Amino acid sequence: MFFLQSLLSGILTGGVYALAGIGMSLVFGVMNISNFAHGDLMMLGMYLAYFAFTLLHIDPYISLLLIIPTAFLFGFIVEKIFIHRIISHPHQNQILLTIGLGLIMSNTALLAFTSDPKILTTSYSSSAVHILGGISLSVPLLLSFTITCGITGILFLFLSKTTTGLALWATSQNREAAQLMGINVAKMSAIAFGLGTALAATAGALIAPTYYIHPMAGHTFLLKAFTICVLGGLGSVVGAGVGGIIIGIVESMSSTYLSSDWKDVVVFIIFLVVLLLRPQGLLGKKGEQ
Amino acid sequence: MIQHLLHINHVSKHFGGNVAVSDISFSVDEKQIFGLIGPNGAGKTTLFNCISGFYPVTSGDIIFDNKTINNLRPDEVCHLGMARTWQRVKPLGSLTVLENVMIGAFSITNTTREAEEIAMEQLQLVGLTDFSKKSAGSLSIGLKKKLELARVLATHPKMLLLDEICGGLNHTETDTILAIIRDVRNKGATIVFIEHDMKAVTAVCDWIVVLNSGEKLAEGTPEVITRNPDVIAAYLGGGHNA
Amino acid sequence: MKQIILIAVIAGIAALLPLVIGDSPYFIGVLISVLMMAALSSAWNILGGYAGQYSFGHAAYFGSGAYTTMILISKFNFNPLVSMVAGIIVACIIALITGSIVFRLRGHYFGLASIAVAEIVRLSALNFDFTGGAQGILLTDVTLWGLDLNSKIPFYYGMLLVLVLTLGITLYLRTSKTGFYLQAIREDQDAAASLGINLSFYKNKALLISAALTSVLGSLYAVYIRFIDTSAVLDLRLSIEIILTAIIGGVGTLWGPVLGAVLLVPLAEILRSNVIGDALVKHGVVSETSGLGVFLKENLAHAHVLVYGIITVVCILYLPKGILGFFRRVK
Repeated sequence: MFFLQSLLSGILTGGVYALAGIGMSLVFGVMNISNFAHGDLMMLGMYLAYFAFTLLHIDPYISLLLIIPTAFLFGFIVEKIFIHRIISHPHQNQILLTIGLGLIMSNTALLAFTSDPKILTTSYSSSAVHILGGISLSVPLLLSFTITCGITGILFLFLSKTTTGLALWATSQNREAAQLMGINVAKMSAIAFGLGTALAATAGALIAPTYYIHPMAGHTFLLKAFTICVLGGLGSVVGAGVGGIIIGIVESMSSTYLSSDWKDVVVFIIFLVVLLLRPQGLLGKKGEQ
Repeated sequence: MIQHLLHINHVSKHFGGNVAVSDISFSVDEKQIFGLIGPNGAGKTTLFNCISGFYPVTSGDIIFDNKTINNLRPDEVCHLGMARTWQRVKPLGSLTVLENVMIGAFSITNTTREAEEIAMEQLQLVGLTDFSKKSAGSLSIGLKKKLELARVLATHPKMLLLDEICGGLNHTETDTILAIIRDVRNKGATIVFIEHDMKAVTAVCDWIVVLNSGEKLAEGTPEVITRNPDVIAAYLGGGHNA
Repeated sequence: MKQIILIAVIAGIAALLPLVIGDSPYFIGVLISVLMMAALSSAWNILGGYAGQYSFGHAAYFGSGAYTTMILISKFNFNPLVSMVAGIIVACIIALITGSIVFRLRGHYFGLASIAVAEIVRLSALNFDFTGGAQGILLTDVTLWGLDLNSKIPFYYGMLLVLVLTLGITLYLRTSKTGFYLQAIREDQDAAASLGINLSFYKNKALLISAALTSVLGSLYAVYIRFIDTSAVLDLRLSIEIILTAIIGGVGTLWGPVLGAVLLVPLAEILRSNVIGDALVKHGVVSETSGLGVFLKENLAHAHVLVYGIITVVCILYLPKGILGFFRRVK
């Protein structure tokens, strides 16, 4: 019973991780940039959900309707002002720029909101659904998983059926070729970063009811998001989705069978093992190892 | 019995479904100047990358100086005496011209002073002495090509793989490079040349292998090759200039 | 050699500084921080600036030096110097594990892997009992050669010594085969390999040297402060601060990291101790009881990381080679 419970909880949490991973993978695929501010973008999503709830009394899941466009716009603008300028700079400088932006975000949040953790408690925050005699699934987790599936589905349709989405997809496969075919890759980068930000913020908003909200909350998720991306294969959106679920399960199992203190260590060890044994990940992009 | 210095034995290289090089076999003798030509995309650079250790071969063997070198790292291949240049030049941009060549020299010595001496020799050979303190990144393309040549010569190689060393050079520059190559051969090295410039190839090569679409199309002396109708068709049909 | 003389002169001046400043533990303390950050960034620079491999988890080596030293002294009564050597060994083992996993890969995995390793070390220290868990480790008693280790002075000279050693090693490497090879790796790995350079070997060499030096600094820090915990010696923030110091001063130059430390550490200290806020109040620019005054008083102290972030962004956008790098180009 423990096993099934652990597995199912893991899958549900994994869904949200997958969302964060997909956002990061999209940015990596289209722009070839490792976004070290990704975790802080999640943190912003958490705070947006919190304030929507406490000031506007909107349920966190409903507030997504506000958060997604806001975050997209924010990411789009950040890309145009900052990231755009360093798109052809050495990789390390790109990382450092995103680190700097992340530091600005998390420390502005620190100054504005203080480091006291905020807690977002909805009426159903501790509710659970009981199935199969003995397994209890948290309602917030179920809701976030469902929403995650929905969003992933919409994203998939966008990438495969709309002109802009296909252009984005093409750019992530081969930037040079896309450019030669007339695709405005600069615009694609801005869209990709906007989408990545929106997905990160969404992930943040979805877990807001179940985590402590504080300015440094994003940092744990950053490395996990990278692990998911590398596990799934850098640049592979589907891979990130799969990777997210796997990491969610691994974390849940580690928590149950080892201890919750060590669950993060297990995830990071997996990261190193993937690099050691299969650096291109499960569904890796060809070319770069 | 002439010793083959390099023996390419039924080498193939696939990238997933894409067959870049298919069942190529040829041999290069010591002190030969050997030409590897063919239209764009024929697989010449891919073959070079396999020989120099940058790509693992999908099948076949590469035997250099009686050793099978298929699975060696590029630096190991260099230490066995084979050095290569790059189609798109790779100057070590922030370092000076002299320092660039010293990097090559360090493969055969451990002291900075000796490396500097060897490097100065090579710079003199290719005519870059006046540029020794300039940053490598600031040179014109012709000079960068000379730098690449000087750099690999500093490793005192038994065999040189030159990937379009004359690419982007004018006639005078090309003639200078060819003279250096003949000189290097006369001193005992073997040279394998990828080149598009047919005039350069016919002027200096002893033997030529023609690749087309990953396969060996023909091989022979320059006279034979330039008159081969298949070769002519491949070049004209492939839409490439000389 | 010009640079050797410069190092000697600056080291000489630095050695005399405590005598000039006299008995002011606060300023000596700030100077120790400057020296330590200068040495940390210089050590990082060997791997990052010269070999072009950016480690985002150097705190792992600082922390392993600190923890190994602390544990051996406080629990087993080891001699501090022996503990320091043990710390170096531990750091090198971690470095070798990291390097052997990542250096064979092309692509940008080293940075990420270095963070993963650092986090594994941090979380392990946090979760094990023998490392003190969240409480950390306190050192009550330590002696070495009859030196008064309650005073800051021995640590000032200790840090200065390590800084000079690091600069010396950097200078030596720069003009030796290893240094040339590292720079070749930084410029173009494929070209480097084709010229006979064993990429993994040399990257590991640079990493080991860098890790060992960083570990020594960690050991010094531990005995200096007498208390360590994971947030002091194993935090990602420390790793980032080391890199930023090198970047802003000038990556890949000899004096860049030192310059970065000289600029940033006092800046952080000024912000932390609210000197600016106090000055504004004293000169009547801002009233102490106004909203702005209160805000400044409470928050400027926490703002130094925000300022770091802003400086980083500005630096990457406008001065990507750092201050010294910029002046070099103009020359």
